[in-house]
Amino acid sequence: MTEISVSGIVEIIKKRYPSITVAEPSLIKGVTSFKASSGTDYLGVIRAFKEDLGFEYLDFLTAVDWKGAVDARGYIMDPNPNPFLPEGAVEQSEVKANPNFQYRDHFEVVVVLSNWKEKLKAAVRIELTRGNPRLPSLYDLWKTADWQERETFDLLGIEFEGHPNLKKILTPDFIQGHPLRKDYVHVKDQYD
Amino acid sequence: MIETHSSSLKTDQMFINLGPQHPSTHGVLRLGITLDGEVIVKAEPDVGYLHRGTEKLCEVRGYHHCVVVTDRWDYVSAMTNNLVFCLAAEKLMGLEIPARANYLRVAMCELNRIASHLLFFGTYGIDIGAFTPFLHAFREREMVLDLFEMVCGARMTYNYIRLGGVMADAPPGWADKTSEFLKYFKTKLREYDDLLSFNPIFLDRTKKVGIITAEQALDWGLSGPNLRGSGVSYDVRKTFPYSIYDKLDFKVCVGEAGSCWDRYYVRMREMAESVKIVEQCLAALPSGDIMAKGVAKIPTPLPGEAYAHVEGARGDLGIYLVSDGTSCPYRLHVRAPSYINLAILQEALVGLRVADMIAVLGSIDIVLGEVDR
Repeated sequence: MTEISVSGIVEIIKKRYPSITVAEPSLIKGVTSFKASSGTDYLGVIRAFKEDLGFEYLDFLTAVDWKGAVDARGYIMDPNPNPFLPEGAVEQSEVKANPNFQYRDHFEVVVVLSNWKEKLKAAVRIELTRGNPRLPSLYDLWKTADWQERETFDLLGIEFEGHPNLKKILTPDFIQGHPLRKDYVHVKDQYD
Repeated sequence: MIETHSSSLKTDQMFINLGPQHPSTHGVLRLGITLDGEVIVKAEPDVGYLHRGTEKLCEVRGYHHCVVVTDRWDYVSAMTNNLVFCLAAEKLMGLEIPARANYLRVAMCELNRIASHLLFFGTYGIDIGAFTPFLHAFREREMVLDLFEMVCGARMTYNYIRLGGVMADAPPGWADKTSEFLKYFKTKLREYDDLLSFNPIFLDRTKKVGIITAEQALDWGLSGPNLRGSGVSYDVRKTFPYSIYDKLDFKVCVGEAGSCWDRYYVRMREMAESVKIVEQCLAALPSGDIMAKGVAKIPTPLPGEAYAHVEGARGDLGIYLVSDGTSCPYRLHVRAPSYINLAILQEALVGLRVADMIAVLGSIDIVLGEVDR
């Protein structure tokens, strides 16, 4: 590979994986997003990026829960009263959903890769159903996926098949559920 | 009856805990280590003791409030945390930053890099068994913190870089005091080399110890001085320039062998580069506004996503920010370099001796506030 441009990458990927759709360039500013529809495609596209297109570095791997506004019961404490509130202003007690935004009952895993030689970035995204969010692990491609996938598993409950050591990493063992899910409700524990 | 023992005798393996409270873990980190005699056969870093769920906290706070939360990740170089969040949010909002604010931001970040690397220099010396460098490092670090105190009133958790610019202009006399410090600090850098960098005992403990090859480093996603110590020339400031770094003249410091000493010495040389950058910023500091016009009190950016990343003191610090059009971020993900760098210990420690483990752990230079977030 000598010269790679964004349009070149889009062409190559589209030829090889016809089911991949390319998101509008404004989705993540400065990063071209490729939307995969199945786990095999997801793994295949990322492998193609790494092995054929020179995207050698995994920037990060994370996930977004598109369910809607965050559940206020997910927090332990009540919202702090604000003594500096101007007269007549209403306290913002919980986050309101945006009525014009299309929330959906899905998780979306986002993987951002870098090609340092060409100074390019690409994102591979895949939507997963809420009931059984499963995805092949990237551990065989990058070992850095180890902890990043464990974090995504811990905080959002997405299972990575083929991960050698998929267990909680950041939250304590007694925490039930996955805190970064929008419908997470905190269960009282010994510290409450 | 006397049994004869051969060297091939199978001995029991022993499991020991290092931490969570241990002076050389630089915070609350537990390392579960399986030993065969003196040699490590398995290492399992256990993190999460400082997990405060800041990513979730940001989901119920306005954008201005989130800047305060960012200070608590890498509290040793909080300016870069402020900067990266502001860059991501400004991308979402499409704000233009005034030139003076940009120069002040970069000057602060580089001063913070010096302060952070000085902390590393001091504590790494203690890890290895040299106490004196710590006193020297903290003497100079105080001066940097004094400069921060002058400009924003805080010595930690600055909350100085805000959406659209910076909180306050540099007070009168700040620039002079900074140049004075830089001039003084350049002589000190040579002193550090005499004191620690080329000390024969220090060299014995760190050179050829804990070697991380370039392939390993890329595989494990290392960034910052840890990656450059392995000979990979990648610096976000050069490869994906942000703010005004494309206008500044500085070198990317790269090590050779990937040993503890290489990682250490990359940081020492980076301090000299940071001095150069701050000098350029002071020389070219334009006059004008320090805050963009029309920054909303309660910003509600249009639905969209942004990714911004900067070269923090510990590596490639990134923020992935999603907005659904409300006044709070819908999702915020921190690409925390310490967290990603720490994972390599699972591989890098195997086969080393216990005493070398401390040297390797110190050379990775983690801040647990950022690891656990």
